[in-house]
Amino acid sequence: MAAPSASMDNNNQSHPKLSKTEKKFLRKQIKARHTLLRHEGIESVSHVTESLVVANGGLGNGVSRTQLLRVLERCGSVEALLMLPNKPYSFVRYRTKEESKKAYVTLNGKEMVDDLGQNITLYLNFVEKVHWEDLRPPVLPPGLMIVEEIVSPEDEKMLLESIDWTDNSFGQNGLPDICNSLLEKCLKGGHIKYIPDQLTINQYEPGQGIPPHIDTHSAFENEIISLSLGAEIVMDFKHPDGCTVSVMLPQRSLLVMTGESRYLWTHGITPRKFDVIQASEGQKSGIITSDAGNLTLNKRGVRTSFTFRKVRRTPCDCSYPLVCDSQSCHQNEAFPSFPENDKEALELEREYVHRVYEEIAEHFSSTRHTPWPQIGAFLKALPKGSIVADIGCGNGKYLGLNKEIYMIGCDRSQNLVEICGERQFEAFVCDALAVPLRSETCDACISIAVIHHFATAERRLATLQELARLLRPGGKALIYVWAMEQEYNKQKSKYLRGSRDSEEKEEHLNSGVLASGLFGEQNPGTSSHNSVCSISATNDLKDGGCNANGVINSKLPVHTNRTSFHSQDVLVPWHLKRDPMRDKHAEPLKLTPDLGVPHDPSPVFHRYYHVFCEGELETACRMLNNISIQHSYYDQGNWCVIFKKL
Amino acid sequence: MRAQAGMKLLTHNLLSSHVRGVGPRGFPLRIQATEIRVSPVDFNPDFVTRMIPKMEWTALVEAAESLGHLSELPRQLKEGYEKDEDFLRKVHHVLLEVEVVEGTLQCPESGRLFPISRGIPNMLLSDDEATS
Repeated sequence: MAAPSASMDNNNQSHPKLSKTEKKFLRKQIKARHTLLRHEGIESVSHVTESLVVANGGLGNGVSRTQLLRVLERCGSVEALLMLPNKPYSFVRYRTKEESKKAYVTLNGKEMVDDLGQNITLYLNFVEKVHWEDLRPPVLPPGLMIVEEIVSPEDEKMLLESIDWTDNSFGQNGLPDICNSLLEKCLKGGHIKYIPDQLTINQYEPGQGIPPHIDTHSAFENEIISLSLGAEIVMDFKHPDGCTVSVMLPQRSLLVMTGESRYLWTHGITPRKFDVIQASEGQKSGIITSDAGNLTLNKRGVRTSFTFRKVRRTPCDCSYPLVCDSQSCHQNEAFPSFPENDKEALELEREYVHRVYEEIAEHFSSTRHTPWPQIGAFLKALPKGSIVADIGCGNGKYLGLNKEIYMIGCDRSQNLVEICGERQFEAFVCDALAVPLRSETCDACISIAVIHHFATAERRLATLQELARLLRPGGKALIYVWAMEQEYNKQKSKYLRGSRDSEEKEEHLNSGVLASGLFGEQNPGTSSHNSVCSISATNDLKDGGCNANGVINSKLPVHTNRTSFHSQDVLVPWHLKRDPMRDKHAEPLKLTPDLGVPHDPSPVFHRYYHVFCEGELETACRMLNNISIQHSYYDQGNWCVIFKKL
Repeated sequence: MRAQAGMKLLTHNLLSSHVRGVGPRGFPLRIQATEIRVSPVDFNPDFVTRMIPKMEWTALVEAAESLGHLSELPRQLKEGYEKDEDFLRKVHHVLLEVEVVEGTLQCPESGRLFPISRGIPNMLLSDDEATS
């Protein structure tokens, strides 16, 4: 389709008379131009130059070099074609301006079918200069090593067949034997320095991935090793200053991450169905570079990873304090330990639940606005005139859902309850362990995302007892708690998917990028994740980690937002945004060259959580002798129970 | 302009002091109000009818009286009240339209005072006061 043509009107002024299709094309071309500028810093110019940027003609969106070259060469002699591995665009330089102009006119809006049979439309714009030379020769992240063919195809088959995805008691007797011989082999071969004691098995189908993250420093030791079975994959590593390196992990290879590659670079797998690899290297390990003449697309298979880690028993003391949860955030804080008694539990809750919610109330409230459907359904199904208590009501999200019932909210946080008051809801301040309502007055109670803030099993049980006490016989309670298993039945929770809609699990998608862009940085493009099947096991403490007195130093680990939980008792960061009316999109993060403080620091608070394992909430409820469980289910990263007062 | 919140008497009828040792003698809390407001609410006879059996009637009457909003509410429930629209309207008014914005709630057994501020009662106890 040609570019729009000009026409003259009666006054001899030239102005484009555009058809509907032409207008639509123009719009899309302009949009492509803006997107490239905004996201990639590529500035298009309106005068003719020899170089063009070809939007939608990139390796990153499934267009191969051969194919694009064929199309481009029809317009003239191509001096250079630059295709970067992960980008949905390319740069072409023609010998003369006439040829590039011809390409601009004839190829703009051109539809083609890519190597995977998908329809795409090319949009071309002139660019001033392409910085071919700016591409740094890529370097493997320091401390990273890949050992090829660490297992034979027979062993690979055996390992894959040994997995039982439904076995919840996996690892009760330590790591499976089949792994131990492999680990011994790695140790003898000098690939690892010590035997790990934790194993996580993940399965990635084509189209699945995992967001970029650094494995929590305080949770695991230096060496993290990952065995790739069933298929090869490309893993992306990113340094805090923006440098990205894509690394091919061949089938049956062992990835060893230590030092910088383990502590400083993030690693992740882009959710897509094909990877860009070097045709000449095939599926051999190594970096995927961009200036090779022949990058090609590799269709993904089903890859299963066995990732082995060694659990840390002491705070992390790495050389990367800025990204270290044991060191950087907590310079002024004596970080809490797992509580040993009720008094310690209360102190922990006071510091890491009550105080935090008071500080973050407004911001927190601004991220809690969408009622969850199943909770809404529970409330709407209640008979007219029901009296309902919302224990831990927060900002009152559920208090006004059903106008036919009388709902009273209560919360530990004065500031949050005041927000309820401003919304004209009935609410008061109290502790969930001692709710000042008469016994047996409620037709229903709800407790959403509350009980996981209590630091001992006894205290959690006591909150359940309170809920039961409030219910009249026949009354129902609905309880939601955060699940340890953020992927369940192949359904990854919204928390891990990092979709813009998922506010429930933490702050806005982008606020996590602000001060901790160095932690789990989020790629908005990955919101279409599918689930990754995952199970994990940890060896019981056999000896290690005890100091001379035999006392285990069990500091609470700080969780990395939007990654799986490795421990049931965690501190979860909350990045406070003081002005909740601020624009949803984060400012681009500009780090000073020495990795110093970001230009826009915001305070980080840590909230204590005890995340529940499958069946744990149910078991706790069953300890009450005056209720019967009606329904027990999993909803968006939460374990849920409905029980009825007998 | 932000509307003021207020504790309704329906809510008050459910509240009970949980100071250690008081048990059921922590009800009803005595209201001392320094600021009250009346906020119109749509009358729903069905809703009111369903609420009445759940209320402690005497406590409701006492509370209404202490706020000066007794308005001829009978001290005892009569049979057939469900059909008495006039009566239901009076109950509706007392349950849902009279609100305490500022004041205190007092535990009848221990004397402990709980503040109501901006319509929000603060029922938090200190560690030693709370029931173990």
